[in-house]
Amino acid sequence: MGLLNFIKKIEPDKKKSPFLHTLYDGFFTFAYAPNTVTKGGVHIRDGMDLKRTMVFVVLAMQLCYLFGTYNIGHQHFDALGLYPGFLEGFHLKLVHGLIKMLPIFIWTHIVGLGIEFWFAAKKGHPIEEGFLVSGALIPLIMPPDIPIWILCVAVAFAVILGKEAFGGTGMNIWNVALLARVFIFFAYPTSISGDEVWVGGFDKVVPGAVVDYGWAHSLFNTIFGWMGLSGFESGLSIHDAYSGATPLAIASKEGWSAVTEQFSIAQMWWGAIPGSIGETCKPFIIIGAIILLVTRIASWRIMFSMVLGCAFMGMIFNAWDATPFMSVPWYYHFYMGSFLFAMAFMATDPVTAASTNTGKWIYGFMIGVIGLLIRVFNPAYPEGWMLAILFLNTFAPLIDHYVLEANMKRRSAPPSPALGMAGATQSVQLEKTNSHA
Amino acid sequence: MGELANIFIKSAFIENLALSYFLGMCSYLAVSKTVKTAVGLGLAVIFVLAITMPINWVINTWLLGENGIFGTDLTFLRFILFIAVIASMVQLVEMVVEKYSPSLYNSLGIFLPLITVNCAILGGSLFMVSKEYNFAEAVSFGLGGGFGWFLAIVAIAAIREKIKYSAVPPALRGLGMAFLLTGLMGMAFMGLMGIDPAAY
Repeated sequence: MGLLNFIKKIEPDKKKSPFLHTLYDGFFTFAYAPNTVTKGGVHIRDGMDLKRTMVFVVLAMQLCYLFGTYNIGHQHFDALGLYPGFLEGFHLKLVHGLIKMLPIFIWTHIVGLGIEFWFAAKKGHPIEEGFLVSGALIPLIMPPDIPIWILCVAVAFAVILGKEAFGGTGMNIWNVALLARVFIFFAYPTSISGDEVWVGGFDKVVPGAVVDYGWAHSLFNTIFGWMGLSGFESGLSIHDAYSGATPLAIASKEGWSAVTEQFSIAQMWWGAIPGSIGETCKPFIIIGAIILLVTRIASWRIMFSMVLGCAFMGMIFNAWDATPFMSVPWYYHFYMGSFLFAMAFMATDPVTAASTNTGKWIYGFMIGVIGLLIRVFNPAYPEGWMLAILFLNTFAPLIDHYVLEANMKRRSAPPSPALGMAGATQSVQLEKTNSHA
Repeated sequence: MGELANIFIKSAFIENLALSYFLGMCSYLAVSKTVKTAVGLGLAVIFVLAITMPINWVINTWLLGENGIFGTDLTFLRFILFIAVIASMVQLVEMVVEKYSPSLYNSLGIFLPLITVNCAILGGSLFMVSKEYNFAEAVSFGLGGGFGWFLAIVAIAAIREKIKYSAVPPALRGLGMAFLLTGLMGMAFMGLMGIDPAAY
């Protein structure tokens, strides 16, 4: 209690320094359960505090963070041809992953939270918690080699135009994290797609490219030297057979058999493949999805119907079989790319998804269909889930509108004769009064 | 048949008149406040596009072209004739809507006659000329383009109905937000850009 009393004592005055007070309030309610619970906001359907809801989503992502960070290092040494076993060179892979991951994570939060705090202080509101989740999602959907300044511009774009312009947390129409990614995708396409961005630590990912380590690596080299462990060796280069392509990129060009030549199915399942930071490890994403389902934060309808939609479209493509990509067995589409990640954390965002139950079925199913359509049909874009989810976010209010309208129509319809004479006579009387009027 | 379906899909989703060419913005922004009126205007645009496109095709090839009945190149008359056809068709739609749905007629207001100068309609006809479509393709293009425009205006109307309850900053309320929404919607539609249905 002593700590709590001390923290309460240092609370800045709200009138004198609104920015400091907002900052204090944000961290206070994050660390301690506040006396008030969130009441407003369109996505709240019970008395649970909004901040706690968000924290659960962030918790569900932690395994993806751990694996993603380690996998950055693993892919780096894979390109160099060193430490082929997944757990070999553990300390080097972990440290390299952290050196790549931490700047992405920290800068996302500096920019995003900074804008959030500034808007909160300006509006005189307490800090809205929405960026907790967006800020945790954005690093996971970036490639390891993303330039930090592009990341900052994209986060600023998404938070200001995608969220604050709509009035803040719970009011946005499009998923904020996906808006940040789609911004980079269209404005700086070479730094987020292609074969070059999935491995960190090289200027250019081509065979023969020499690794370039910075001060952080040499710092750790010294530490590892004291501990008697092996360090980072500079002057190594990427081995000849390395392409840096993701399974998806290979599949779209040469079909499934070319993928299995390079990656085993177990490897794709466990996630030791190049890709966006958080998307590769399927079991950990599924654990996260189960956490979200058990706590009832995510909607099982959306997840299930999205799987259905993707499987449906995949079977159609299998039957059509016109290009090598179409003949990829439909169930292997779940192993490649970001389907599961998009399903668990992106499509189920309660703010931007359809909010009626029937609407959720339509919404999820259409994401599955359109996402696979973009993935297979669109030669320019290797992956479709981000674009499919944004596309359906656009139509979610329309779906809800018509679902509600249908409900209203059904309820206000005159009772059918099957309901009994009482209802029938009533409706006849109603019609009579209407015709008189 | 496959070719016609390609043109329909392409003009409705991939080369959406509203969201990738930003045509017909005036009525798109002004009449998208409620879903009901947006549906009415969208249907009117589909109708006018689907009627004017084949008529303009006939005029362009048989009257104005070098192989037409006059035997000389009269294409400098294209704009005037196209607009005249569009205006008369809009007049027709107006009379039909006034007769059968006076409430929709009232809520559309000035924007119904303004379909005449809706750039999506004239733009559609001019696209048809520059893309050298034949008659059936022109019909398909008209229907697809109209459907895409309809989809865009109905979607933005639903979003604008939803954000009525949001705490939008005062400076952005109304048109400012509509512009922002249109841009973000265009981004969402860009996912389909680059797909070539004809390749399959």
